[in-house]
Amino acid sequence: MLLHKITVSHWRSLLNEVAMGPFSERVNVVHAPNGTGKSAMFEAMRRGLFDAHHVTGGEIEAVRPWGRDLSPSVTVEFSEDDQTYRVEKIFLSGSSAKLSRLESGSFQPLATGRDADARIREILAADAPGRGLSRHEHWGLAQILWAPQGALHLEAISENVAKNVRAALGVQISGETGGQLEERIARRYLDYFTKTGKPKTGKNAAPVTGLTERRERLKAQLVELRQKQQGFEEASRTVEDARNRRDQARREADSLRQTLGGLRKQAEEYTRLKSDLKNKQESESLAKERYENLNAAKERIEATRKEITELEEKVKQAAKREGEFKTEWETAKELLEKRRSERETARARSSQTSDHLKKIETARQFLSDQSDSESLRTRLDKITNLEAELQKERKKRTETVAPDAKTVREARKLIGERDTAVASLAASQVHLTLTPETTVSVHNLTEDSSHQASPSHPLKLSGDAMVEVKVEGFGGIRAAGPEGGAEKHRDAIREAKDKLEKLCEPYGSTDPDRLDALREKAQELDQSIKAIQQKTETLLDGTTTDALSSRLAEIKARRKATLETYPDWEQNPPVLSELQSAFDQFNNEIRDTVQKAEDAFDKQQGVCTTAENQLNTHMAQLKADRKNLESARKRLEELTQDGLSDEHRTKAISEALMNWKASKETAGQLEEQLKAIPGDPAKDLEKLERQLGAHEDTENKARDDEKTAEGRLQGLAAEGAYSKLIACEEELENVDEQIGHETTKMEAIRLLHDTVTECKQAVVASVAAPLERSATQMLSRVVGPRLGRLRLDQNFVPEAIHPDLASEPVKLDNLSGGEQEQLFLITRLALAEVLAKSGRQLIVLDDVLNATDSGRLARLLTLLEEVSDRLQIIILTCHPERYRGLGGAEFFELNH
Amino acid sequence: MTVRFIHTADWQIGMKASGIGPVGQQVREARLDTINRVLGVAKERGINLLLITGDVFEDNAVDRFLVRKVGDKLSRFPGRVYIIPGNHDPLVPGSVWEHAVWEEASNVSVIREPEPIELDDCILYPCPLEEKYSTRNPTSWIDAGESEKIAIGLAHGNVEGLPDADPDFPIPRDAAGRAGLDFLAVGHWHSFATYPGADGAVRLAYSGTHETTKFGERDSGNVLVVEIDERGAAPKLESVPVGRLQWQTEETSLEREGALDSVLSGLNEIPAPESTLLRLRLNGLLYASDRAKLASVEEIVSTRFLYGIVDGQSLVPAPEDDSWIESLPVGPVREAAEKIREQALHASDEEKKAVATRALIQLFEMNEKNHEGE
Ligand SMILES: [Mn+2]
Repeated sequence: MLLHKITVSHWRSLLNEVAMGPFSERVNVVHAPNGTGKSAMFEAMRRGLFDAHHVTGGEIEAVRPWGRDLSPSVTVEFSEDDQTYRVEKIFLSGSSAKLSRLESGSFQPLATGRDADARIREILAADAPGRGLSRHEHWGLAQILWAPQGALHLEAISENVAKNVRAALGVQISGETGGQLEERIARRYLDYFTKTGKPKTGKNAAPVTGLTERRERLKAQLVELRQKQQGFEEASRTVEDARNRRDQARREADSLRQTLGGLRKQAEEYTRLKSDLKNKQESESLAKERYENLNAAKERIEATRKEITELEEKVKQAAKREGEFKTEWETAKELLEKRRSERETARARSSQTSDHLKKIETARQFLSDQSDSESLRTRLDKITNLEAELQKERKKRTETVAPDAKTVREARKLIGERDTAVASLAASQVHLTLTPETTVSVHNLTEDSSHQASPSHPLKLSGDAMVEVKVEGFGGIRAAGPEGGAEKHRDAIREAKDKLEKLCEPYGSTDPDRLDALREKAQELDQSIKAIQQKTETLLDGTTTDALSSRLAEIKARRKATLETYPDWEQNPPVLSELQSAFDQFNNEIRDTVQKAEDAFDKQQGVCTTAENQLNTHMAQLKADRKNLESARKRLEELTQDGLSDEHRTKAISEALMNWKASKETAGQLEEQLKAIPGDPAKDLEKLERQLGAHEDTENKARDDEKTAEGRLQGLAAEGAYSKLIACEEELENVDEQIGHETTKMEAIRLLHDTVTECKQAVVASVAAPLERSATQMLSRVVGPRLGRLRLDQNFVPEAIHPDLASEPVKLDNLSGGEQEQLFLITRLALAEVLAKSGRQLIVLDDVLNATDSGRLARLLTLLEEVSDRLQIIILTCHPERYRGLGGAEFFELNH
Repeated sequence: MTVRFIHTADWQIGMKASGIGPVGQQVREARLDTINRVLGVAKERGINLLLITGDVFEDNAVDRFLVRKVGDKLSRFPGRVYIIPGNHDPLVPGSVWEHAVWEEASNVSVIREPEPIELDDCILYPCPLEEKYSTRNPTSWIDAGESEKIAIGLAHGNVEGLPDADPDFPIPRDAAGRAGLDFLAVGHWHSFATYPGADGAVRLAYSGTHETTKFGERDSGNVLVVEIDERGAAPKLESVPVGRLQWQTEETSLEREGALDSVLSGLNEIPAPESTLLRLRLNGLLYASDRAKLASVEEIVSTRFLYGIVDGQSLVPAPEDDSWIESLPVGPVREAAEKIREQALHASDEEKKAVATRALIQLFEMNEKNHEGE
């Protein structure tokens, strides 16, 4: 297809009609800034060519300019197979389609509406979309030729387009028959598998799926049945075990019962033997007693006889020694008396020590009395002196009449009152002062008194209301003032004077200072008295003078008495330490002597007591022996009372001995019989009976267990688990076999399918080879040989590169973004060249090669120039300057 | 004085039938039916003593209905029946022998103790088993040396010297002579077998099962008719076939084109296919032209016989037979066919070979259909 002209209106940002063209058959560069509708224009071209005019939905709605009720429309003029067409389409409200063909210089309608849509697609070998807008795979060759904005990548090429490419390459992979067979295989394959090679599931699932499910169910069932079968066998075993336990318990009980029988018999025998033995033992002990009694009597007689002989000899000897013991005792007694008197003598001396002690005590008292009497005397003297002084002070105090502080205060107050009244009087009077140059006499007419006045002694005169004088040599002078008030003041003065005189009468003065002095003097005296009294009290120290005097008298009396005993102490008072040491010496001597005498006495007393004791013991022994002798004789008499002879006695003894031995033997035999029976069977019997009870219990329990287990077992047996189990196993085997069959069948078809696909791929790969070669060549012209060989898949989509240096092909996502876009552009160009063999084709490159550097871009431009011999190229860009180097390119600026 | 009896064993009622697809139930029913034939032999010959030496039932947990059926059949026998429990149906709590039918059938004795049983003209020395497995000789207790009557032992176990046999209830080869028995009837092995003594007289024998239990089982499907004239006389044995089912294994190697024709005619010659279980093993080469015949062989085997299976797993396509592949259109399909053929002939494991062969057959069929224009 070759594009001539395109007109768009109401399309996204293109509000008004925008027309572009006619385009060059070679290279065209459409440029405009971003967002001005370059891509929208080419979108409109695609929609106009490939989409049904009546398409609805969100996607086509999005094409309508925002917020306007406009119907997007597009007109495209193009050539295909030497024919020129015009397509006019309006979408959404008032949608329409019209296809015209250039016939004899003008466009003649060819089809409208849906027919027009279909006819265009036919011309362009495009596929109809199902519903909604067409997708990439519906674009026919444009899939390869037209790169939408920024999308140079080729993700997939539809089988139809691939077929076109193959056709253009002049290759046929499978003939018609081959193709049919392939289809058969594919259909068969799809009976069992999905397109991605997984076994089908759901309602179209392969039979093996159902079989496998059945197998799983059977397996689960089998497990259950096996458990049941096992349960049956276990239950059987449980019953058997219980039975064995019961049998065992019964056997044990039986054997125990047998043992018990024997044991009971034995117990009876034992009891009988025991009682026999007891009887025999009793008679044996009687015989033994008799023998022993006889024997003992004989022995006692003999012993008594021997005892008598011995005692007689002993008494005889003792009588002989009696005198010796007595003499010894007497001698000891005498010596003891001697020792006693010696001791008394010594003791008497010791009484002197108390005299000594008494003297020391007296001396100590004497000395103490001496010092006490001295101090007492001094103390009494002091007290006497103080008492005399006190007497004197008291007298002085009595003579002193003094006011107290209150009286003094009262006097002072009265004086104040008097002075105030005097002042008030003076103020109420008329005063006249005469100071003459020479001495003159003055006669007071008012009072009628005369006075002398001189310059050194001026005369002052006062009078109530008026003073009138007659001055010698001068004449009379009268001074007058206001009248009245003087009498009142004079009364006040008089009253105060009277009170004062009355108050101070006892003290002989009204002068307050004098009164104060009197008061202080009295106070001093009082204090002095008090101090003397205190001193006296201190000296008395709680006692009285009388008591002190009597104590002194007492001491004096004692001294006098002591001095009567020790008169020399008057002159030489005793020294205590001397007296004490003299006493100590004397005392030691006395003590030693007394001790010795007492020791000697005590010792002798011991000797004496021993002697006495010996004598007494001896006498007691003798007495006892005599008594024993007497009793032995009496005993012998009793023992021999029966009057039997010694021979007779011996014979009786030997007879009793034989009796005893005989009965002892009988008892021995019985004992032997008893020994054969170990222990008292009664005890064992009790134990065994208890054991038997336990066994019987065990047996009963085992029986119960057995019953329970038996019940369960019967239930399980009735189920016939084994029969169910094998039926299930058989079914499972059967299913397994069917699965095997089905699997082989499926695997066979899979093998067939996969092998055919593989072979086909190999053929396709060989078809793609020339294309790969030309693309590889172009690639190496742009990027150099580094990327090696380009590999296309069976539908010619680039899948890998194989660098010469790498052992394995490398996935495309390992390439940089720039190299990837270069590679895809080149692949598109190579494919376009193949397709262009049947006629010029349009290549649209919308905003591509953004990641390509300028060096490679220059090489790509050369390449584009080269291919523009066979291809019409439209480049949409916002960087027209990048394409300025393209020789012969037409530039279109989009402005509306 | 002559004693005559039928010795049978290993009826294995309720046994599982492995590897015969869906006909297990029919095979089990046949085992039950054949009891009638056993009793029929006795009736024909006027024998009134039936000795069954163990494994009447496959398991103690078989369906109680089966027990009832066997008991009822035996109760209708107009003679005495003596049964010893075997290792499959040992005398344990819950065993088949606790079923009421054994009380009801007054002519049938299930022997529960190893004690001699004195009959009119002989004494039985039975050895009932009480366990599934034991290394004990079950006959060791028998001491019939002093017996004046004909002494017959009944036991179940492995006669010593059997190939690959564990010492499971081992019975010495000279057990009969050692125990002073005239004849020791043994069960456990399903094939008829006799063990002659030093004097040449056979006093120890397996009767074998009355109905074959599996493919490849030799000398089975019989009962043993025994006749002993007098104490010490050599027993006369006769193995009488009673089995209803034929378990047949055919193995054919295909060597040339058209070899399946003879296989087909061979199938036609097999008598009573309705009571035959057939296992047909084919190996060798399969020619493309024979493929249709193979399908009809499979068809006949699976429909005409009680049970039939063709095992063609080891068939490989004939190497020189590639004419049809060459006729395929040039292209991926033909290439693929050649590859798969290679695999069918030379793959390392059998399964791969089988899958490849199968794939070829499928392709062959599709190609045919393609030509027919289907
Ligand atoms: Mn057995």
